[in-house]
Amino acid sequence: MNLINKNQLFNYSKDNFFILSRVFSILFLIIFLSIISPQFLGWNNILNIIRQASIQFLISAGLTLVILTAGIDLAVGAILGLSACFAASLMVDGQLELAIVAGLISGLLAGSLNGFLVAFGRITPFIATYGVLWIASGLGYVFMKGEVLHSFPPSFRYIGTGNLFGIPVTILIAGIILIILHILLHKTVFGRSIYAIGGNPSSARLSGISVKSKLFYIYTLSGLLSSFAALIVMARINSVDSSIGEDLLLPAIAAVCLGGTSLFGGVGGIAGTAIGALILSLVINGMNLLGVPSFWQSGVMGAIILGSVLADQYGSGRSLIKS
Amino acid sequence: MDRRNFIKYNSIIALGGLAVTTFAQGNKPITIAFFVKNVTNPFWKGCRIGAEKAAKELGVSLEVVAPTKPDNIEEQTRLVEDWIVKKPDAFVFVPVDFKALVPSIQKVNKAGIPVVGYNNRMTDVDLVSYIGSDDELIEYEASTFLFKSMGGKGKIVHIDGVPAASTAQARKKGLERALKDFPGIELLVSQPGQYRRLPAVQVFENLMQRYPEIDGVVSANDDMAVGIAEALISAGRANKTKVIGVDGIPDALAAISAGKMFATADFSGHDQAYLAVHAAVRNLRKLSVPKEIKLPIVIISKQNISSFPSTPEERSVPSWDKTVASQK
Repeated sequence: MNLINKNQLFNYSKDNFFILSRVFSILFLIIFLSIISPQFLGWNNILNIIRQASIQFLISAGLTLVILTAGIDLAVGAILGLSACFAASLMVDGQLELAIVAGLISGLLAGSLNGFLVAFGRITPFIATYGVLWIASGLGYVFMKGEVLHSFPPSFRYIGTGNLFGIPVTILIAGIILIILHILLHKTVFGRSIYAIGGNPSSARLSGISVKSKLFYIYTLSGLLSSFAALIVMARINSVDSSIGEDLLLPAIAAVCLGGTSLFGGVGGIAGTAIGALILSLVINGMNLLGVPSFWQSGVMGAIILGSVLADQYGSGRSLIKS
Repeated sequence: MDRRNFIKYNSIIALGGLAVTTFAQGNKPITIAFFVKNVTNPFWKGCRIGAEKAAKELGVSLEVVAPTKPDNIEEQTRLVEDWIVKKPDAFVFVPVDFKALVPSIQKVNKAGIPVVGYNNRMTDVDLVSYIGSDDELIEYEASTFLFKSMGGKGKIVHIDGVPAASTAQARKKGLERALKDFPGIELLVSQPGQYRRLPAVQVFENLMQRYPEIDGVVSANDDMAVGIAEALISAGRANKTKVIGVDGIPDALAAISAGKMFATADFSGHDQAYLAVHAAVRNLRKLSVPKEIKLPIVIISKQNISSFPSTPEERSVPSWDKTVASQK
């Protein structure tokens, strides 16, 4: 137990160093963009970027926890889509509360299916969640039959478009989730066991952590967070079709990686993901403001992700691949 | 289940009515494999409903074939191969990519199954008939309509589809052609919205920061256009910017009625698919079918929205004879 704690402490201080380096890269991006684009530093644009980053963060939050255990949840986008479909169908029938509950429960169930398959079915997370990805998006197609549901009540849309004290509600919600998850990860036994499992599952088990049930809860939580993100996305764009969750997976993984969480588990944290999401949003905003041609944007994105991971490897001396 | 029974009963009724024809064909009900690009975009739902109406009328059975992953080339290629083996009486086909699917349709030609194309034109394949319109023309007409309403001057933003998609490239060309006709219109920027609402909204929010004055937005489809209109409302800029889309999906029609969105250009997938199934069945029944049917593009704006039913189910079907007669 002592040994694990020491190890964690070690990682944690390195994480702080890492976050500092990320803050510098954000500052660099901000300075660079504000020099070449006069509109960049406007208050509205800053809120705009943070709001977009908040949504990206909410989509990546559950995934971060899973990746910390050295797992992967490929179903985040699909679960988001499925929850949105269920919630939207009830919402257009006028049953707002029921819609929210149904959306969250469907995410919880899909997440627990992931958790069950990984923890008790002993299926590799990649395969288990890949299967659930197909099931969830397939269910969405069957359920929606090509329909688009739109026009949700304004009271609901408040969480995606409203302002509180001049700050978009979405940002506040993402901030609250960030604080809760940060406390969960660093101040609770559950959080510490997440790092322990990711660091070394065998020693985690030997030190008395019930790895299986913890994994089950983590995947379930990831599903729940996906469905929560679904509600925010719905409120924001005011329509749902069965493809809403597609294309969300890869940016979600990118935000986690940019935030310095190792795909091999045990290293990183939720604050990093918030920063990763912010970097992603900054880069996209910058490319839009500068009018970078469509065809180049994906390539630029990929180069930035690779570049930042390489810089970590060689710059901070912290290897993302466990040696 | 419902639909199947429905088609079955109707087939029986129609078979009775067309006893002579069916007798000549050996009493086997006609099966048409009807392809769509995906089951997520409402445009293709409109197509499916148009095709189902035709199948019901003609008393044939219709099998809707769609890739589970939207617009997936590899998957549609496999689906075509599967359906060659199943040997339907005819294919009514739209390629997810007009070039990539050419070899597959050539295989269908080799297998001797007649193919009617709709919505996206293909070359180097043998089609009984092609029913559609073209992407370049529709974006040209939509842009022209917008530019005229702006009095021929002002600043516009273009939200592109998936940059690599052939439909997006053709639509962009249509916009560029319209821009040449209106030298007073300035294209501020063209950025991709991936044909989807969430990315389009985010890109457009970023662009609103850069450009405090945008007079018009040309969106490559309606799904994005509705999102853009919403983003303008959230930013309090709704009455300064006119948004035009393409496709005529129900969501967009609702937005136009509510005054949120300026206009859309209707392709009428519903009519295309309806006529395509008719063409396929007429061909099987040895009736004349023109090599190509071009459908007129209709711009739907606040002025004429009341004459457009908001869902494809309520739409009236075009008359085959009249449509064919109007071709020349």
